[in-house]
Amino acid sequence: MLPLQVLVADDEPVSRTVVAAMLKKAGYSVIFANDGEEAWKKLDCDDPPALALLDWEMPGLQGPEVVQRIRARGDTSPTYVILLTARGSSADIVQGLKAGANDYVTKPANEDELIARVNVGARVVQLQTALAERVRSLEEALANVRALQTLLPMCAYCKSIRNDQNYWEKVETYFTQHSNVSFTHSYCPHCYERYVRPELEALEGVKAAQDRHRQGR
Amino acid sequence: MSMDDVLDPTVIESLRQLTPPGEPDVLTEVLTIFLQEVPPRIERLRTSWADGNIQEVQRAAHSLKGSAGNIGAGALHEISRQIDEKGRTGDLSGMAPLIDALTVEFGKVEVEIRRLMSN
Repeated sequence: MLPLQVLVADDEPVSRTVVAAMLKKAGYSVIFANDGEEAWKKLDCDDPPALALLDWEMPGLQGPEVVQRIRARGDTSPTYVILLTARGSSADIVQGLKAGANDYVTKPANEDELIARVNVGARVVQLQTALAERVRSLEEALANVRALQTLLPMCAYCKSIRNDQNYWEKVETYFTQHSNVSFTHSYCPHCYERYVRPELEALEGVKAAQDRHRQGR
Repeated sequence: MSMDDVLDPTVIESLRQLTPPGEPDVLTEVLTIFLQEVPPRIERLRTSWADGNIQEVQRAAHSLKGSAGNIGAGALHEISRQIDEKGRTGDLSGMAPLIDALTVEFGKVEVEIRRLMSN
C-alpha cells in the first residue's frame, strides 16, 4: 500500500521541518503549506491528502477556518484534521473541535504523541475508505434490485422480456443478468399432463408398433 | 532540562534521531533553518516595537516561540511566550526589557548552535 499523504500547514519553518521529519520517519509522505490559504488550496481538490496537520495560528486563514471550509465540502471520505496549537486551554480545544477538527496536538509536538495521534487518524481514514467502497458496491447491487422492481415489458405469447437496450430476451437470460437468480429446468403437473405425457405415450406407441413388427417377421 | 542548558539536550538528541538512514542530518537542517529564519524575525519584532505596531510584535513573538520550542531553547521560548502574551492582552509593561532579553538570549542560543554544528 502507498504511504498515506499528510499535509503539514505551518507558517513557522522550524516547526514545519521538525513535524515533517517526525512524519517521514513514521512512514508517511509529506506535503507542505506555508499558510492557511495555501493549505486550503491543497485541500480543496478532487484528491485531497488523507490527513492534515494544521497550525492554529497562521497569517490569513487560521487553522479552525480551514477546517470549517473542509467540512463544508461534505466529502464522503473527508480529510482527517489535527490542529497543532500552542494554546492548551480547554476552551480553545473545544473551539477547535467544534470547528470540525478530529483532534489536536499541543506545540512543540512530542514525537511519540504526535505519531500516535496521526496513526489513529490513519486508521480512521482506512476504515472510512473501506466503508465508502462497501457503500458503493451496495449501491450498485441496489440499482440492480431497482431494475427488477420496475414494470417489465413482456411478450404475451412467447414471454420474452424487453430489456433497457430495447432487445427482447428470454426470461431466463434477463433474470440471470439482473439478479443472482439462476434457473434449472423442470415441468409443472399441468404441463406434464398437457405436453410430457402425450409425448411419452406417443413414444410408447412407436415402441409397441416396433415390437409387433419384429414379432410378425 | 536543567536551567543552565541553553538548548535542552533531550530535544537535541530526539531531533538527531529523526534522521532516516542515508538521508541528510535532520538536526543540522533544523538548526540551519533556525539560524536563517530567527534573526530577521527578531529584527522585525524590534522595528515593530519601535513603530508601536503591537500586533506585529505579537505575531513575531508567537512564531519565535514556536521556533524556540522546537529546538528546546527553553529560556528563549519563555521570553517569546511572555512577549506574545503581553502583545495579545495589550499589557505593555516591562515589554522593552523583555525584548532586550530576547536579543541577549538569542545570542547565547546562536553560540550553542554553532558549537553543536561544528562538532
